[in-house]
Amino acid sequence: MISKSIIRKDIIDITRSKTLLTTLIIIPILFSVVFPLLIVGSALIFDIEKVTGNDLNMMLDKFVSVMDPVVATYSVEQQIVYIFINYLLPTFFLLVPIITAMTVAANSFVGEKERRTLESLLLSPISIRNLYLSKIIASIIPPLFVSIISFVVCGVIINALGYPLFNTLIFPSTNWLVLISCLSPMIILLVVLVNILISSKVKTYQEAQNIAGVIVLPIVALIIGQISGVFLLGLELILIISAVLLIINLIILFRISKLNDRSALFEKQIH
Amino acid sequence: MVSKYIHVNELYKSFDQQVVLQNVNFQVKKGEIIGLIGPNGAGKTTFIRILNGVIKADRGSIVIAGLDPVKDGDDIRKKSGIVTESAGLYHQMSGEENLRFFSDLYGVQNKNRIIELLMLFDLIDHKDKQVGKYSTGMKKRLALAKALLHKPDILFLDEPTNGLDPDGIKLVLSYLKKYNEETGTTMIICSHVLHQLETVCQSFAFIDHGTIVEQGTVPELAQKYIDVLKVEVETTLKPITPKYQGYNYTVDGNKLIFELPSKQEISKLLNEILKTDEVFSVTTLNTDLESIYFKVRENGHDK
Repeated sequence: MISKSIIRKDIIDITRSKTLLTTLIIIPILFSVVFPLLIVGSALIFDIEKVTGNDLNMMLDKFVSVMDPVVATYSVEQQIVYIFINYLLPTFFLLVPIITAMTVAANSFVGEKERRTLESLLLSPISIRNLYLSKIIASIIPPLFVSIISFVVCGVIINALGYPLFNTLIFPSTNWLVLISCLSPMIILLVVLVNILISSKVKTYQEAQNIAGVIVLPIVALIIGQISGVFLLGLELILIISAVLLIINLIILFRISKLNDRSALFEKQIH
Repeated sequence: MVSKYIHVNELYKSFDQQVVLQNVNFQVKKGEIIGLIGPNGAGKTTFIRILNGVIKADRGSIVIAGLDPVKDGDDIRKKSGIVTESAGLYHQMSGEENLRFFSDLYGVQNKNRIIELLMLFDLIDHKDKQVGKYSTGMKKRLALAKALLHKPDILFLDEPTNGLDPDGIKLVLSYLKKYNEETGTTMIICSHVLHQLETVCQSFAFIDHGTIVEQGTVPELAQKYIDVLKVEVETTLKPITPKYQGYNYTVDGNKLIFELPSKQEISKLLNEILKTDEVFSVTTLNTDLESIYFKVRENGHDK
């Protein structure tokens, strides 16, 4: 059904490619280390209450009114940090699996085409379905791994810096747990599936990135843009969105598993 | 009729209205080494890809070991090893990692096979080096090792000696010949370097403008295409007439080059010379593969 050797080979390839590895390291550091450090850290260093004006306070009150009643008892400083961690950070955090999945999956077939190794794979006795499924799994593992590590690192930073402010551990909330266990894997799978299909149909990495930018990014932006709202509206909605993505993924996966045209894949490469 | 191991009948292939192969008829006997010769763009690589079932022909029939490349592609690919022009190796992995990966794909059980091949092709000292840092010759030898991992029944070799130094060419060609003798592996070798093929291949197929224009052994083709046989004789004979015993000749130093109507005339000529003079060496000049190749192409263009 799947080829472990192709998965292993792809992962080796990713870890030995400087560009891919840089993306896999820089993006998580930016969104799960630098961002929380800046926001929670600055709350500790600066006296935020003094710099906030009436307008911000009014906005905060509006936000807080739809949240857990406990939040209303927090100081302005605590409320800002709380809102950032639970409603704004998830948006940025989701960029980690999305960008890493896009980079890895777009390279999947195109990387083989550019290095003229796809020919060797297609000339071997491996079925097209097996090839696609193995490449999908190989493209899922790195973003999944990176997002889980980012989640843990992000959690450690938030709790370490947030503890003096709240006197309790504030991370992760249930929303965050559902995000990392359901929503993030589903988004990774969607991005990987679409990008693998694109990667198999174009000839260069540049083309794959361009098409992904036009097709995938708007959809992803749409999802991401709604995340703060979704988090505000609650757990059920995150679960529903994850379930919808699961259905879409299963449909795409089913279609991919029916692919069997070796010559179509062979002819879409640089000769 | 002797059944052929590979049998191609009236094969056609076009890409975007550009005809690449037309009316290709081709046969190979089991255990034969056949040279597929033709200029760049003649369709050799496309033909090899169709035989392996990675490209579909527009029409025509192919049978390889009783199998059809379109329906039984994976079975054919399991039986065949291939060296492509670009070698198709993973540059970020070491030589040994590459062979290990491909041995998994081809289901090779014998774990010693990798070391055996690395030693055979003089790559054992470089097994841990990334293939990207290999020389062209080393890559070519590794590609050949890759193609032989699963001890295939058929070997497709697209320019197997490209980029090799004279030692490498000798190593690869003598190994291929020995391997064929020991295992009876059928081999199809595409190459431009005609004199290299001459010593290895048992028969040849000439491909031009997408079609196989001629196929056969060197003696068969010479018989068909060479009307005037040129024979160089190193001798003490110094003829004084413009013709010697009715044969045209030219003088090249201490050698005479005779033009004979057939090879049967060689003995007659030598007998005559030996009656009066000494003979030190005799060489036929225009029955080599290169001469036949150009003759076949010439005839093709005349048609």
